[in-house]
Amino acid sequence: MSNKIDITLNVNGRPEALQLEPRVTLLDALREQLGLNGTKKGCDQGQCGACTVHIDGERVLACLTLAAQVEGREVTTIEGLSKPGQKAHPVQAAFLEQDAFQCGYCTPGQIMSAVSCIREGHAGSDEEIREYMSGNLCRCGAYPHIVAAVRQAAEAVQ
Amino acid sequence: MSAAEATRRYGDSSDSSSTASGSVIGASVTRFDGSAKIRGAATYALEHRPANVAHAVLVPSTIAAGRVRSIGTAMAEAAPGVLKVLTPDNAPTLKAASDWLGNPPARPDYQPLTAEIAYAGQYIALVIAETFEQATQATHLLDIVYEEADAVSGLRDVAEGGGFLAEPMTREWGDAQAAFASAPVQIEQEYEMPREFQMPIEPNGLIAEWQGDKLTIWEPCQWLDGMARTYSEWFGIPFENVRIISPYIGGGFGSKAFCGPHDAIGAMAAKMLGRPVKLALTRPQIFSSIGGRAATRQTIAIGATKEGKLLSIVHTGASETSINETWVEPLGVVTALMYATPNLSSHQRVVRVNTVMPGAKRAPGENPSAFGIESAIDELAYEIGMDPLEIRLRNYAEEDPHTRKPWSTRQLREAFAAGAEAFGWSRRKPEPRSMRDGHHLIGWGVAAGTYPVRRAAGEARVRLLADGTVEVSSSTIDMGQGAYTVIAQTAAEVFGLPLDKVAVKLGDSSLPRAGVTGGSRMAGVMTSAVHKTAVALREQLVELALTHPASPFRALQANTLTVADGRISSPLADGAVISIGSFLAAIGKTEIDATRDTFAEIGIDPKDSYKNYTTIAMAPPPTAGDFSLHSWCAHFIEVRVDEDFGTVRVSRAVSAFDSGRLYNPRLAASQIKGGIIMGIGQALLEEGLVDGRHARLMNANLADYLIPTNADIPDIEVISVGIPDPHASALGGKGVGELGIVGVAPAIANAVFHATGKRIRDLPITLDKLI
Repeated sequence: MSNKIDITLNVNGRPEALQLEPRVTLLDALREQLGLNGTKKGCDQGQCGACTVHIDGERVLACLTLAAQVEGREVTTIEGLSKPGQKAHPVQAAFLEQDAFQCGYCTPGQIMSAVSCIREGHAGSDEEIREYMSGNLCRCGAYPHIVAAVRQAAEAVQ
Repeated sequence: MSAAEATRRYGDSSDSSSTASGSVIGASVTRFDGSAKIRGAATYALEHRPANVAHAVLVPSTIAAGRVRSIGTAMAEAAPGVLKVLTPDNAPTLKAASDWLGNPPARPDYQPLTAEIAYAGQYIALVIAETFEQATQATHLLDIVYEEADAVSGLRDVAEGGGFLAEPMTREWGDAQAAFASAPVQIEQEYEMPREFQMPIEPNGLIAEWQGDKLTIWEPCQWLDGMARTYSEWFGIPFENVRIISPYIGGGFGSKAFCGPHDAIGAMAAKMLGRPVKLALTRPQIFSSIGGRAATRQTIAIGATKEGKLLSIVHTGASETSINETWVEPLGVVTALMYATPNLSSHQRVVRVNTVMPGAKRAPGENPSAFGIESAIDELAYEIGMDPLEIRLRNYAEEDPHTRKPWSTRQLREAFAAGAEAFGWSRRKPEPRSMRDGHHLIGWGVAAGTYPVRRAAGEARVRLLADGTVEVSSSTIDMGQGAYTVIAQTAAEVFGLPLDKVAVKLGDSSLPRAGVTGGSRMAGVMTSAVHKTAVALREQLVELALTHPASPFRALQANTLTVADGRISSPLADGAVISIGSFLAAIGKTEIDATRDTFAEIGIDPKDSYKNYTTIAMAPPPTAGDFSLHSWCAHFIEVRVDEDFGTVRVSRAVSAFDSGRLYNPRLAASQIKGGIIMGIGQALLEEGLVDGRHARLMNANLADYLIPTNADIPDIEVISVGIPDPHASALGGKGVGELGIVGVAPAIANAVFHATGKRIRDLPITLDKLI
């Protein structure tokens, strides 16, 4: 299969015209074609959460989403959460302050999930945060600090 | 001593000295590389995009033993975008590389793609195409015919044969057998651990690009110089012709320290194609082709007095290795170290099975060893009716029981005290099944852990620039343990500069050399090297300020000058105060720099530089010299076991640890907690399930091989009880990274016994074993 299709993705508020095979995932389109490497490939089978992005404001796994599926919808990646040189998003700042990561590879996905977790109203208690952040694996074991960061950011946002 | 006192007295020892002097070593600054990581701006090795890169996907064997009779490639080669298909029929033969100790290979040649199969998951073909999607699809178009032979699936396979003795692992003193036979109290049990996997979230892989006989590799890599040596030997090119670039590593835990077959195949493909090739392993491929922790079993017999004093330990163990290569998971290392015993015997066998060669997973050896001895000592405590904490103190080793050398520092007693206080151990009811909350049985368990101090020589370059900034460079790497941060702190302190005036360049083998980032040694090696280099450069700066004709300090006729807060001044406060940058400008220099190594400090001949950085053969053992050097920890764990369903949850964890002086307590605490969390996974979740019929891993993905999720982990309290250890490193720190996991699994197993009265001796502790 090599028939390419023309699509336009709206990524971080910018239209991006792409020519790609219909089987290309959103994750590979972001990383390989748009050079947006902040969205990470961890397992490529929907198990680790490292590729979490927002589609129309909701968290979605980019590895289980075809790029062609999201044409006409708002895609937000970690790069779109705060612009370079500008103040970090409150969730990003809380992750840094709480040391909520070590290697940093799962971190963009964790942060995108955390933004959603707060927006969904699922940051009411530590227990709730743990539950609603459990789709994002962190092998370095930063979980207690991730909970602290989400708690801090939730308070800052309110 | 209360936990709060312990924290004040020990945990802040590094902090308080910093506060007093205004220095930054020991300060809990945030992660130096953190801003890039929270913004998705940290570019990991596999995210590099050379022009004209081709994409490669590997094909693993589905049989574990036998041979590939044929691989039909016509359909794959005809598929759109496919550039080449490599199989055993057309893959070139490389030169074999020496091992991690520098021992020459047994055979001269190396065929990374071969028809002879020794494990399921062994690579038998590579498809290279213009796109990742095209390569992936074409892997399904190969016509592979196998001749399957009988395989040995693991340690529980009746055909395993008993293996061979790993002689260097033997430890003997006294007459252990006789002392056990005559001991008033005897316990003897077998402990088992399954195959486990490191599973960092960033996949293994590489991008290889050739220019003539020069090879550039972008690869997540824990050991640039070691892997560069392997590549150079494989392809018969000079070491200097290989450059590895690895700016950030998305987790390693031992899985990214050595080259694997995929590296040889990927670099070979790039050479044959004459264009850059990217090859990333899929998650299932990582499970089957990157060696994890070997499955192990060990028998421990303890003879003791009725008062709980050890008389003898008789220990035998076995670990699995692959058919063609030997990896030893040393099971006796903690057994022969933790407790004072007048008699000990420890032997280990290694068993060949059809698996990829196992590898290093966080605390190889210490981790399973501690599961055995820290479970067994707990069994002894119940046998004689003694508190599990008390029995550990009663048998406290006041010196290294094997070498009889004094410990350099051993704050384990302090760790027990501080941990017990913070946990509330004194409120524990001793009888199993005596504490409950509704239908949750509650259990409290304790276990100790240890990890050796691995010293090594390192090297660094430090530059002072005219803009008043300082730059440190080294080919060491940061995989989340905090190299960027502690190196920046060290340089900042020497020049009295704020951290934002420091730049750190790591992860490029063209920079000053570094050995492996493994064995919890990076921080000790690199802070020593960077400190030495920065001090030398500071002295060079002072010398210039005193003697350079254009220096504003020359007229002072002073013996020395003060360098602090980024400025140079006279200690008598009688001269100019001038910033380092302005001074360099005044004497007409754009920069000054120094490069130093720590060979003399470690006692290594600089002639052995290449061997020092590209093998682990030069690293002195923890007992070299007059002392025995180790980190120590004590874990206190509470579990809740659902009486009806047998589900186990860790509900509280308190760990006190002695890693000597902490260069950054915030980062050290994170690493210790990370180790504890991986230990919770090991105790309750992680198990490589092997199909006994075909010796094939059945759960090679992250939904079936369970690692802890956020919801599995409670709040964890860690307490530093370390004191600076001048024998361990120049700045007084001992190892951190691996220590935290050691002892967690037995602490949980001990807590489960306290909760339920059931002793689980084979990990993980799953509900089927409890109901």
